[in-house]
Amino acid sequence: MIDVPPAVTLRGVKKAFPLGNGRALDVLDIEHWALPAGRCTVLTGPSGSGKTTLLNLIAGVSLPTAGTIAVHDTNVSALPEPQRDRFRARHVGYVFQTFNLLSAFTALENVMLSMMFAGAIPKAEHRRRATEILARLGLAARLSHKPQQLSRGEQQRIAIARALANHPSLILADEPCASLDAGTARGVLDALLSICRGDGTTLLVVSHEPAMLTAGDQIVDITAINRLEDPARSVERV
Amino acid sequence: MTILTVALKYLRGRFVASALTSLSVALGVSLVIASVLLSRGIKQGFIEGTTDYSLLVGAKGTPTQLVLNVVFRMDVPTPNISYRIYRGLQDDPRIEVAVPVAMGDAYQGYRYVATTGEYFAAFPWRRKTFAISDGRFFRDDPAEQPSYEAVLGADVARRTGLRVGGRFHEGEEAAEYPLTVVGILRSTGSADDRAIFISLASYWEMNEVSRKMQVKPLTAVLVRSKRMSDLPSLHRGFNVTAEAQAVFPSAVLLSIFNILSLVSDVLAIMLVVVGLVVGLYLFVSMYSATLERKREIATMRALGARRTTILGIVLLESCALAVIGSALGIAGGHGLAYLGASVLAGRGGPVANRFAVDALELVVFIGAVALGALAGLLPAVLAYRTEVAENLAPLS
Repeated sequence: MIDVPPAVTLRGVKKAFPLGNGRALDVLDIEHWALPAGRCTVLTGPSGSGKTTLLNLIAGVSLPTAGTIAVHDTNVSALPEPQRDRFRARHVGYVFQTFNLLSAFTALENVMLSMMFAGAIPKAEHRRRATEILARLGLAARLSHKPQQLSRGEQQRIAIARALANHPSLILADEPCASLDAGTARGVLDALLSICRGDGTTLLVVSHEPAMLTAGDQIVDITAINRLEDPARSVERV
Repeated sequence: MTILTVALKYLRGRFVASALTSLSVALGVSLVIASVLLSRGIKQGFIEGTTDYSLLVGAKGTPTQLVLNVVFRMDVPTPNISYRIYRGLQDDPRIEVAVPVAMGDAYQGYRYVATTGEYFAAFPWRRKTFAISDGRFFRDDPAEQPSYEAVLGADVARRTGLRVGGRFHEGEEAAEYPLTVVGILRSTGSADDRAIFISLASYWEMNEVSRKMQVKPLTAVLVRSKRMSDLPSLHRGFNVTAEAQAVFPSAVLLSIFNILSLVSDVLAIMLVVVGLVVGLYLFVSMYSATLERKREIATMRALGARRTTILGIVLLESCALAVIGSALGIAGGHGLAYLGASVLAGRGGPVANRFAVDALELVVFIGAVALGALAGLLPAVLAYRTEVAENLAPLS
């Protein structure tokens, strides 16, 4: 069996949020954790246990207080912000719980914006590629619709299309089905999983959906990797 | 897509707010353009409408009133002077030309200006030229044989509809002395366009006082001396008498310009305040838009947009509002200036209608766009500093 290097490696990662008056809230303390490449990992854990914070750290949206985070061979936490932004745009797709589509733009434009920010795909290709991804997600008839004209399930599928736009090697999804009904959630998850598996994309999903827990290749409870027992109460003076 | 199309999409996304903000910029720019064009037009109107004569002799009073009344046909008429003064000037060896002018009643608001044919003469030193567009000049008829011929200024003919051969009079009293149009002048761009020229003989016969008292009143005499060096003595000569005064029209024009420059200074201060108010409105509009959009900004950042890209989008939005507003404002300002000039000219005010686009528009345009960039700077910095993680937290 070939030993595939992990998609994400965390070493000695700590994250604390300053509270003012010299106090800080410790949220994460992970000694070592590796996310297997090309697989779907479901991250679970109680509310406030640091799941979203972990996703933000891996995406390079925020920086760890200590430790290193490597996505493939790149130490994301050591990159200067502009390079981190570019790296995230090109290699990481992010799907949010509340979709976070841009209301002034159509479905097609929301996907094309992602390509514009990354600058990895030639401009002439943007429209064709965005149309293709949206069609794969069953939204061919919704290209010119604005988010507010679409159902919640359609909105989340646009968000997934947006995350896939730049051929990322890693997709982070934060409770992608939390605000959808069970039937819609199932459809969205199936679409996400089939595309990621087909493309060999690594998927890290924060979810408590039974369907997702069943479909994932592995389930990781954050409390098993986070050395802080109750991050929500772990306030210390720094 | 480019960041410009993103900025324009955002503007379209909040169409009403964007339209109102652009409108406020347009109003401010219109006001600036219209004020500058009109004050320039008025100044130019005074320059173009002034007389080529170096001295004006009239009744005692303020020099400004005499010039405004005789040259620009504004202000209340000055008292009369005796015909004898004109004869004295005619006989004065220092004088090259002396043209008598008597002003009195009006027809439909257009003043009768009684004078001689010399008023229209093309002397070599004259910038102003008179030409007939239809008919002929009136005859210098003898005092006892008035012809009641009238030559109309271009505006008078256009607005009253009178044509060559037409007869007219104002009121029952003048019905006995109807005037006949014998000629229509080409436009001179001066107050003469709004005057009805008649001979002195006709004027004196139409005027009840001069008819009954057998006097030949004049309002003023336009004087051109043979030598410039004679002007001070001529000026002094009249001003030491109790009967008349002599004024230099150019000196009066200078004092009018001084008053106009004071008005311009006050106007400039007001326009700066207008600029500040418009800038503030633009700032508030962009600031509230940025605050409302913090979550979307955080999303864009999470999708890989750089801080500078976000800064650029907000700055471009603000500049685009200023560009649209300025373009509308420049067009509106020209419209306002044209309207203002027409109203002013209709009321007999001196205003030149020269509103061609020049460097002013470019300066105002660049200034408004710079103001837009300045007003958008703080909101852009706010957008630039938006923290991604804290603005991406679930809404619930």
